[in-house]
Amino acid sequence: MKTKKQNINLRKLFRKKLENAEVTPDAEIRSILMKRVARKEFMYFNPAKLNIYYLGGILITGIITAVLLLSGSGNSLNLNSSDTSGKLNKTDTISHLQILQENPVKIDSQNSNKTNIKSLKISGSSKLPLKPLSSVKESVELHIDTTPIPTIIRNSFSNSILIPKVITDDKKLQSRFKKEISFIYVSETSGCAPLKVKFHNVSTSYDSCRWTFGDGGYSDKTDPEWIFDVEGEYKVILKVFTPGGKFLTSSVLVTVHPRPKAHFEITPDKANLPDDEIRFMNYSTNAVRSLWDFGDGTTSDLFEPRHVYTKFGKYNVRLVVFSEWGCSDSLTVLNAFSGSEYYIEFPNAFIPNIQGPTGGLYSLKSDESAQVFHPSFSGVSDYQLKIFSKLGIQIFESNDINLGWDGYNNGQLSEPGVYIWKVRGKFRNGEPYIKMGDVTLLKN
Amino acid sequence: MMSDQQIIELCARHDRKAQQLLYDKYSRLLLGVCLRYATDRAEAEDILQDSFLKIFFNIKDFTGSGSFIGWLRKVAVNTAITHYHKNLKYRYHVEIEEYVSVETGVTSFEEDFFTSDELFKVLNELPAGYRMVFNLYAVEGYKHKEIAEMLGIDTNTSKSQYSRAKAVIRDKIEKLGKLRSSYSDNS
Repeated sequence: MKTKKQNINLRKLFRKKLENAEVTPDAEIRSILMKRVARKEFMYFNPAKLNIYYLGGILITGIITAVLLLSGSGNSLNLNSSDTSGKLNKTDTISHLQILQENPVKIDSQNSNKTNIKSLKISGSSKLPLKPLSSVKESVELHIDTTPIPTIIRNSFSNSILIPKVITDDKKLQSRFKKEISFIYVSETSGCAPLKVKFHNVSTSYDSCRWTFGDGGYSDKTDPEWIFDVEGEYKVILKVFTPGGKFLTSSVLVTVHPRPKAHFEITPDKANLPDDEIRFMNYSTNAVRSLWDFGDGTTSDLFEPRHVYTKFGKYNVRLVVFSEWGCSDSLTVLNAFSGSEYYIEFPNAFIPNIQGPTGGLYSLKSDESAQVFHPSFSGVSDYQLKIFSKLGIQIFESNDINLGWDGYNNGQLSEPGVYIWKVRGKFRNGEPYIKMGDVTLLKN
Repeated sequence: MMSDQQIIELCARHDRKAQQLLYDKYSRLLLGVCLRYATDRAEAEDILQDSFLKIFFNIKDFTGSGSFIGWLRKVAVNTAITHYHKNLKYRYHVEIEEYVSVETGVTSFEEDFFTSDELFKVLNELPAGYRMVFNLYAVEGYKHKEIAEMLGIDTNTSKSQYSRAKAVIRDKIEKLGKLRSSYSDNS
């Protein structure tokens, strides 16, 4: 039984799930890698530098070996000279290393020394790889502060002084939010995604206002309505510009909980009501509680219940799931068992056991050698099979679907050849069937 | 935020910061690729490191035609193949006959039934040869002829390895499903 989502084959399954799957590597991998890069670059790059290092290295090793060789004979003069030349080489390498390390440091300091808005933006983005979360915040706040300037503030210079003050003093800004008496009235501060929230600006006298919703959206309306599609915590900021050119800010935190997703499957795939026990596989996400309605008046609150229907019919199966925050989602499969297949099919040949009559009992698994003529079927309730010879004489009859024809007639193996069969009966859903055909009796 | 183009240019000049940026931006995606070709996480991370070394030192070869992510992915896949060849002699060889399994008949799977982690695990447990072919064919979308060239095997070997890999995976996935339903029986 298929629910809303389409099934896919193995290849597509892996492709869909894994082609762009992301796995976060351990933090130490990065540092190991960078060390390896540095080592490789050292060996790989700047042949000039490499020469100095190698020369130095060769000189040192040469001198050390010379010292070792000569120290055996106890010559003190040689020791002294080797010491000084060794030192010289060492300082050489140190100065090189210092230059190497200084480069990135210099870039940093240049950025942070500048005080205008642009430089702040740069330093914000350059921090990105280190602290992605904080840098995102920074850029968002910058966005808030810079956008209203051209539209609202026109001529007063005092504003342009005020703005960088606010930006540079980030902590001050945040503490101001907390102390401020809120002039936001909000319809709800938490709920399930997608959450629709009505905001009201209850401040009394102001020129214009700007709402920023914390998810990238903003509005200039007095009482905007905003829908948060994605779960998360959003800091909604209201900025009110007073006639004097100053502005006040107020904020409110809106928490959006994830909505669970109801999803289930029914097995067996093609169930035959009412005989089969139906199992309900629950694939819901974010769900802590499930409620099932099997469509026949019974319900269950098990996570994955089993159910046996008492009669054939059309059933709508409904699952409602709840998250820990009380958010809910439901999935209904209409006419869940319409895909049930009822069929009866006969083979066109069989090979009786020549040892003697088998009685015609068979099981679908063991009858691989096709010794018994019998149907493959599903959902059959009434059944009558008759077999006739070519001359039209009835030689076999069975009213039990589990009993097929073993090829014997009154204890005698029938002649190889073509026989006619006729079957009639009813499926479980009440539909009658009549079929006829021929079957060839083969000799082993 | 730097654009890919800027990062590439800086990386070509061996700018350390740009290299770190590049790593931070794409390491997760590439580890996902490596993990598919590896026996375990440690090996995947080895491949990841080698891939990035190759990327950093060959980034000037990236012509700019075609997608950069595609190029990165290709480097990772090629590195994984080299790893596979290098480690081939140390690996425990599983005889093909062992894995000739009965076709289960299940040919379709519900997409959301399995998590990516479970599928990674299924791949990790595969014999190395199967894993290579399956990944290259099913996920990367290479043709059997191309795979045969890459791995240095016969085209028909690639085909048969793929179909056997499929059978093994199907088997494993079914067991996974059964495990889950038996777990739910207890609940």
